[in-house]
Amino acid sequence: MMLARVADSLYWIGRYIERAEHVSRLSAVMLNATLDRTVGAEQTGRIGLAALGETDSGRANQTYEASRDLALDRADSGSVVASLAAARENARQVRDQISTETWERLNLLYLRITGPGAETDFDDDPPGFLQEIIADLHLFKGAADTTLSHGEGWRFLLLGVHIERAQLIARLMEVCFSDRKTPAVTEPIALMSVLRMACALEPYLREYTADINPRYILQFLMFDEDFPRSIRFCTARIQDLLTHLAHELGAGRSNALRLAGRLDARLKFADADEVEASGAGALLAAVSAECAAIHEAIYETFVAYPLELSLPA
Amino acid sequence: MSSNETVAKDVSLEEALPLTQAAYLPGRAYDEMIAAGGAVRPHYEVLQDRIASLGAEELGERQRTLERSFLLQGITFTVYGAESATERIIPTDLFPRIIPAKEWAVIEKGLTQRLRALNIFLGDIYGEQKILMDGVVPRDLVLGAASYRRDMQHLYVPHSAYANVCGSDLIRGEDGEFVVLEDNLRVPSGVSYMLANRDASRRTFPGVFRQAGVRPVERYPDLLLATLKSMASEWNSNPQIAVLTPGVYNSAYYEHAYLARLMGVPLVEGRDLVMHDNHVFMRTTSGLRRIDVIYRRVDDDFIDPLTFRRDSSLGAAGLFNAYRAGNVMICNAPGTGVADDKAVYVYVPDIIRYYLGEEAILPNVETFMCREPSQLSHVLANLDKLVVKAVGASGGYGMLVGPHASQAERDSFAEALKADPANYIAQPTIQLSTAPCLVDGRIEPRHVDLRPFILSGEKVVVTPGALTRVALRRGSLVVNSSQGGGSKDTWVLAEEAAARP
Repeated sequence: MMLARVADSLYWIGRYIERAEHVSRLSAVMLNATLDRTVGAEQTGRIGLAALGETDSGRANQTYEASRDLALDRADSGSVVASLAAARENARQVRDQISTETWERLNLLYLRITGPGAETDFDDDPPGFLQEIIADLHLFKGAADTTLSHGEGWRFLLLGVHIERAQLIARLMEVCFSDRKTPAVTEPIALMSVLRMACALEPYLREYTADINPRYILQFLMFDEDFPRSIRFCTARIQDLLTHLAHELGAGRSNALRLAGRLDARLKFADADEVEASGAGALLAAVSAECAAIHEAIYETFVAYPLELSLPA
Repeated sequence: MSSNETVAKDVSLEEALPLTQAAYLPGRAYDEMIAAGGAVRPHYEVLQDRIASLGAEELGERQRTLERSFLLQGITFTVYGAESATERIIPTDLFPRIIPAKEWAVIEKGLTQRLRALNIFLGDIYGEQKILMDGVVPRDLVLGAASYRRDMQHLYVPHSAYANVCGSDLIRGEDGEFVVLEDNLRVPSGVSYMLANRDASRRTFPGVFRQAGVRPVERYPDLLLATLKSMASEWNSNPQIAVLTPGVYNSAYYEHAYLARLMGVPLVEGRDLVMHDNHVFMRTTSGLRRIDVIYRRVDDDFIDPLTFRRDSSLGAAGLFNAYRAGNVMICNAPGTGVADDKAVYVYVPDIIRYYLGEEAILPNVETFMCREPSQLSHVLANLDKLVVKAVGASGGYGMLVGPHASQAERDSFAEALKADPANYIAQPTIQLSTAPCLVDGRIEPRHVDLRPFILSGEKVVVTPGALTRVALRRGSLVVNSSQGGGSKDTWVLAEEAAARP
């Protein structure tokens, strides 16, 4: 039993911290790439910005300024600082529901990134600054994992994480590979950067060796069963979490569960060769749209359900 | 035989507190640590020894650690500026204020007596009104008070426990006796600071804490839960309890979340509540769930727009009807504010005598009622010596501290007094007692008060601890956090600290 508002907040904490981590990682990879003056570096900058929704092509050669804004600009709702502030505000609203250890990790991170020293810290060592945020977010997730009850609230938190992650990875793949004729990424260096953006370089190497080609990357990040940042892994988790929630909360015929099951099946039983032949664009767009629909359905099932149906007779 | 004071170590002040360049000068007020002759009071000796062994730098470091831990835990309040909002911690001092067992025993007995009488008083004025019939308290004073809720008339309140949670403000005058300055029976706050300060002082002075034998305060949350449960125990042995908060923008939000977390009950806002058929439900992920007892941290005025203020969106429409129907308990009961009204305060000793046949153990502060013409003229003639307070206001607002005010401020207050005398009371300016505080690397005396917390349900329980509020500006007598006050931990000792060999 949990307040609907609390479940909603926990879900959003999950989404915001995942977003903050992804944006930090993309910026860090872009900043690293710009140290080289190669075609690959230029491609990396372009896809990084595109994946973050930065449409202004004029900024492609101002990676540093763009990263700085993405990290610290509070006015930009997609920035790391805005995501962390939103996550922390949600955590404050459910302070009674999350453990002190978990809260303190998030609060510390928030105090640091909004503190007076944040801009200097960033300017001193931008990739280092971003790496530290990522490491702190891992600490947050670790604290949550080891100190929160893995019950209802935990499931809403993880739902937020995985829905956000599936959408972010789908967006990254779309930017890189959806256009079959003129793919955005061709350079091996840039392809490695794409893997780094999904935190997938090392697991990929172990799976496919150093043979880096777009086809395998797409396969790995879309269909791998075990890698936590593959879309299939996320959809399987979403379906699993929703199955549990629906069962516990007596929402067996929930629309959210149906949608999640369908999306999971699409990825689980997809024919990788066929997807590759006809372009991944359609499937990737479907993943984004379906995740949005699941998000809506979760809200309608567990948070903003019509009262008439649940009043005692 | 030698008195306590001569038994205590006879050390010069510089030796006792090497940190202070100019010696620690307690001044005219009663000092919690240093007796009139300059000796350290016996119950402060252990702490004083430890302070003397630490340098300024180390004390400063401990103070900073303390502040960091408050910030990290999120024990903050938000200051809203023109554009941005900043979070600040309430200033907290690292030295505990220590109360010996014998003094505490009097406080505990006095507060228990006071709360018993006040709860009976509330039951009476919302019932038969015998005390008004007998003319002990003027009828118009009670029935005309803004905080009197006619809607509460003839409603059943279990155990006649109207004020389930009370935080009374005690002060020590120059003679060292505790007196009651005011009672807070509406939605008193500060208990989370009592608990957080304790957590901090255990870490700041672990050795001293152990040696001193401090009584624990950590049971407050479960005692509060038991008190709330006892309010529904007559018909439900396992009631669903919830804490009602105005939301995250309230300055005491941290405390609301803290209490909910430590009691293990949901923290609800008005928007989580649904009224149906005069029952209160909360909206959960699996449908609506009934609530039996609400510990509300929302003022009377705002809990139900249908009954009280219409423009309030903090409560829930229909909540009072559910209460009237007996389907939910609201704690504290609506309308308790009439008993902590600053004008009714004057009559509390009479109220105690009337219901219990006892004399008040803890006396009131001498108070002039400006509604009486003779007392008004006395107040007007002595504005530079008195503290004048508006009857309905709290939190240090609407208040004039005569000796510290300018002539212009006094003049304008005099006008307000003459225009509406019934709205004001006046009290002599009392030099609150002082306690040592770390201020800019020096130990200096600052004025303090004492807010113990009293729970009333089936039983009246006084938690052996309190919030000590500190007026951080030198010489200031106003301790309210809204007026730049801070706090420190309060140690209630288990037994009289034996004089050391």
